[in-house]
Amino acid sequence: MSTLIEFKDVVKEYKSGDHVLRAMDNVNFTIDEGEFVVILGPSGAGKSTLLNLLGGLDSTTSGQIIVNGEHVENFNDNELTKYRAKNVGFIFQFYNLIPNLTALENVELMKDIVDVNINGEEVLNSVGLEGHSNQFPAQLSGGEQQRVSIARAVAKQPAMLLCDEPTGALDSKTGVLILNLLQDMSNNKNTTVIIVTHNAILAEAADKVIRIKNGQIESIVINENPRKVEDLEW
Amino acid sequence: MSLFKKMLRDIKVNKTQFISIFLMAFIGIFAFCGVCSEYYGLEQTSSEFYSDTNLADGWIYNTTITDGAIDEIKNFTTDYEKQMVVQSVGNFSNDPEITLHFVEDNEISKFYTTEGEDFNSSDDSGVWLDKRFADAWNLTVGDNITFKFNGLTLEKEIKGIGYSPEYVYEASPTSIIPNFKDMGFAYLSNESFPLSDIPYNVLLVKFNQSPDDFKDSLDDSVEYLSYTQQSDHVSVSQFNEEMAQHKMIGDVFPIVFILVTFLTLLTTMTRIVTHQRTQIGVLKAVGYKNRTIILHFMSYGFWLVLAGAVLGLISGPAIIPDLFYPTMTSRYSLPEWNPGFDISFVVVAAAMVISSLLVSYIAARNISKENPANTMRPKAPNMSSSGFLENSKLWTKLNFNLRWNYRDAKRNNFRALMAIVGVMGCVALLISAFGMNDSMENLKTWEYDDISHFDSKLIIKSGASLSDIDDVREEVNGSTIMEQAIEIKAQGNEKTASLLTLNNTNLISQTDKNKNPINLSDTDISLSAKTAESLNVGVGDTVEWHIIGYDDWVKCKITNIHGEPLSQGIILSSDKLEDLGLNFTPTSIITTEHVDDDYDSIKSVSTLNQMVSNWNEMIGSVMMMVSILIFFAVLLAIVVLYNLGILSFTEIEREVATLKVLGFKTADLRKLLLTQNLFFTAIGFILGIPLGFYLMTLMLNAAGESLYYIPSLTLGNILLSGFITFVVSIVVNLLFSSKIKNLNMVEALKDVE
Repeated sequence: MSTLIEFKDVVKEYKSGDHVLRAMDNVNFTIDEGEFVVILGPSGAGKSTLLNLLGGLDSTTSGQIIVNGEHVENFNDNELTKYRAKNVGFIFQFYNLIPNLTALENVELMKDIVDVNINGEEVLNSVGLEGHSNQFPAQLSGGEQQRVSIARAVAKQPAMLLCDEPTGALDSKTGVLILNLLQDMSNNKNTTVIIVTHNAILAEAADKVIRIKNGQIESIVINENPRKVEDLEW
Repeated sequence: MSLFKKMLRDIKVNKTQFISIFLMAFIGIFAFCGVCSEYYGLEQTSSEFYSDTNLADGWIYNTTITDGAIDEIKNFTTDYEKQMVVQSVGNFSNDPEITLHFVEDNEISKFYTTEGEDFNSSDDSGVWLDKRFADAWNLTVGDNITFKFNGLTLEKEIKGIGYSPEYVYEASPTSIIPNFKDMGFAYLSNESFPLSDIPYNVLLVKFNQSPDDFKDSLDDSVEYLSYTQQSDHVSVSQFNEEMAQHKMIGDVFPIVFILVTFLTLLTTMTRIVTHQRTQIGVLKAVGYKNRTIILHFMSYGFWLVLAGAVLGLISGPAIIPDLFYPTMTSRYSLPEWNPGFDISFVVVAAAMVISSLLVSYIAARNISKENPANTMRPKAPNMSSSGFLENSKLWTKLNFNLRWNYRDAKRNNFRALMAIVGVMGCVALLISAFGMNDSMENLKTWEYDDISHFDSKLIIKSGASLSDIDDVREEVNGSTIMEQAIEIKAQGNEKTASLLTLNNTNLISQTDKNKNPINLSDTDISLSAKTAESLNVGVGDTVEWHIIGYDDWVKCKITNIHGEPLSQGIILSSDKLEDLGLNFTPTSIITTEHVDDDYDSIKSVSTLNQMVSNWNEMIGSVMMMVSILIFFAVLLAIVVLYNLGILSFTEIEREVATLKVLGFKTADLRKLLLTQNLFFTAIGFILGIPLGFYLMTLMLNAAGESLYYIPSLTLGNILLSGFITFVVSIVVNLLFSSKIKNLNMVEALKDVE
């Protein structure tokens, strides 16, 4: 497996007045293609900062972020937009679907952004939403909405799926189904899936677990035999 | 206390939104009260002046007012006073006409002194002079002035200078704009009359009856030459006409303006409270009482709306009327020009404050009625089923921009409706203002291009001999006409109108009321469309009329109806006039030649250019009003569109952030917002045009008795209105959409709101 993402000595500082907050302090790690990665850490550890940097929503103070051989840290606004469009499939805690587009339209929206030839119906079917394609987000349950959001992310055929607490707003049963879906994508379709969460149980299902604390890497563990999500003790 | 802090911080954070609330309340009340205060001011100042000076209720004219007649009239008047009124010529280079009033005690239609001593009816050495005339000639108290009349010469010392309620408007014999060097009036004691026996010729009366009843009593008891009631007096009626012109704009415009303001303000208030939905939920969840929460959200807009309304209430009447009054003084003479005040100003301001409180209350109450668990979540968007368009094949072919905007408008149909109505209101105001301008221009070309074809008009001195007049007419190669004021009645209605008698000339031609040329033969008697309408007569009907100052009433049949913008009444030939038994006495000579020679029998010459510029000056105050209308319409458009923009942007910020995170380019997203904006603006614009035209027609229909407007609107001004609307709309939109570039995607997504 080849390396997809590399963080090299990444530093992110936030300035407010005279005060400087170092949210990311010399972070180094790599993620391989097709890996199912869980990034763990308590609140305020820097999870969101890491996600924002990786997702191209924010820029580094220093250090390098190399994705598919490209130096993301040098990108300007336009290049970041292109980077997001091409490489990153976001899955948010609150789904962030476009409320006035149907499930299908939310997915097919991606054709406006990237040049892919997909069939929205098929993608929706693949996340278990047969028969829901003409419903609006408000007509779907939370779990269904998150599935639409996964379908939307997958439809772009991005280099990675970036999931920010994807089950945070769901009950545990629905959450398991969603995580299961994400794990399958990694295992069966060789999609790189990165989940940011504070839920340590998920660690056992990951190929790689990156723990962060106070803006630094605490540990990186590679699971030789990750468990299935559905087998975990919730 | 902490809620108060929250409010202050909320306002600080959303300051543009709250500033726009304040501005809207302010501008709405400012324009409403300002424009209304202008014409209330005219009404109040003039009626105060009339009552302070005890303006006569009627004037009875006779060759001599006899004691016997007075004994009769006494029985049905509360007060009376006889005067000797006579035309004199002042001893100045241009022979100004000065009307002298020899009075007994001056308790009715009192002279209002502004300089010098008060009028003294036993002072036979002094004269109290018209202030406008005195100012025009730089005369001051203590100067001497000489008058000549009926072969008599009178020299008096100016004891006082001031105004008279009978001369708020002084009819000028030569032009529609008074030239105060040419004419004036003066009040003198009856003791200063050079002959021992004064032939009193006017009786001023005050009475309690209705004017019609008084006229009946008068007709029953005495013989007299003519009688004028207060509302027909030339000064009073002309000033009333002017006020009608102001009122027509003052009535329609502020009401539309205030309605648009109300609409935008109220929807803004509702939306601001609705935006705070989850906060209401949180406050409720932590244990605040509903009442406390509702009060908190009501207080949001309250202070700002109150401040805006109060400021507008004070500054509107203080600023706007003073923009008009200078243009008024060129034609009217009042000792003071004060802005008026009406209780309706306070009522409208209070209604604005109260209704904005009310909508905040309703919005907050509706949200606080839901259970907190629900309220803490964002409101589920309106369900929308797929409509016809979405089910058609075409739908999938539409690009994302159109689909998104269509759905957004459909889902937020209230927002869409408000945007469209807001734009529509502004466009209607712009269109009506520009239309007023076009209609006035139209009237000008109608009168001075289509109807009048002469270059000079020579006003004949009264008393000039017919042979002298004929000599001048031949020398300038012109044609004589006769213009007189008449009283005309039919169907029980009575009106003052004008008479135009033409003597075989094509220098004045006629048109119908749509400006199409018509030809009148020597036997025709044509009535202007506006008079015909107000008398409720048509071709074939009989009307009865007499020249004011003469007692011979004639009856005649109307054979034509013509359209005339400036003077309403009868047009006939000199032959027909004589057929009816009246004398053709020329009052002017019109000619295509440019005349600047002096003739003994000619009082003055005015050229068509002068008339046009006089007309421009005359409508100056109305045009001023139109400019102010345009100014406020543009201002309102900016505030309304800005406000709609900021609200829409706040409401879709999260969606836009999501789209940006997903990888949409900033430029595409700006296009997305612009498309929606342009679409609403276009609909509002198209709907606003007919509404504006309708408003203009309303205003023009109220334009008073003597002017006849054809409502007109040029394509150029429609385009200009469109240009203004779209530019404002696009600029405001660009202002907002530039925020997309700096939109903090992370923040926008984290927040559930």
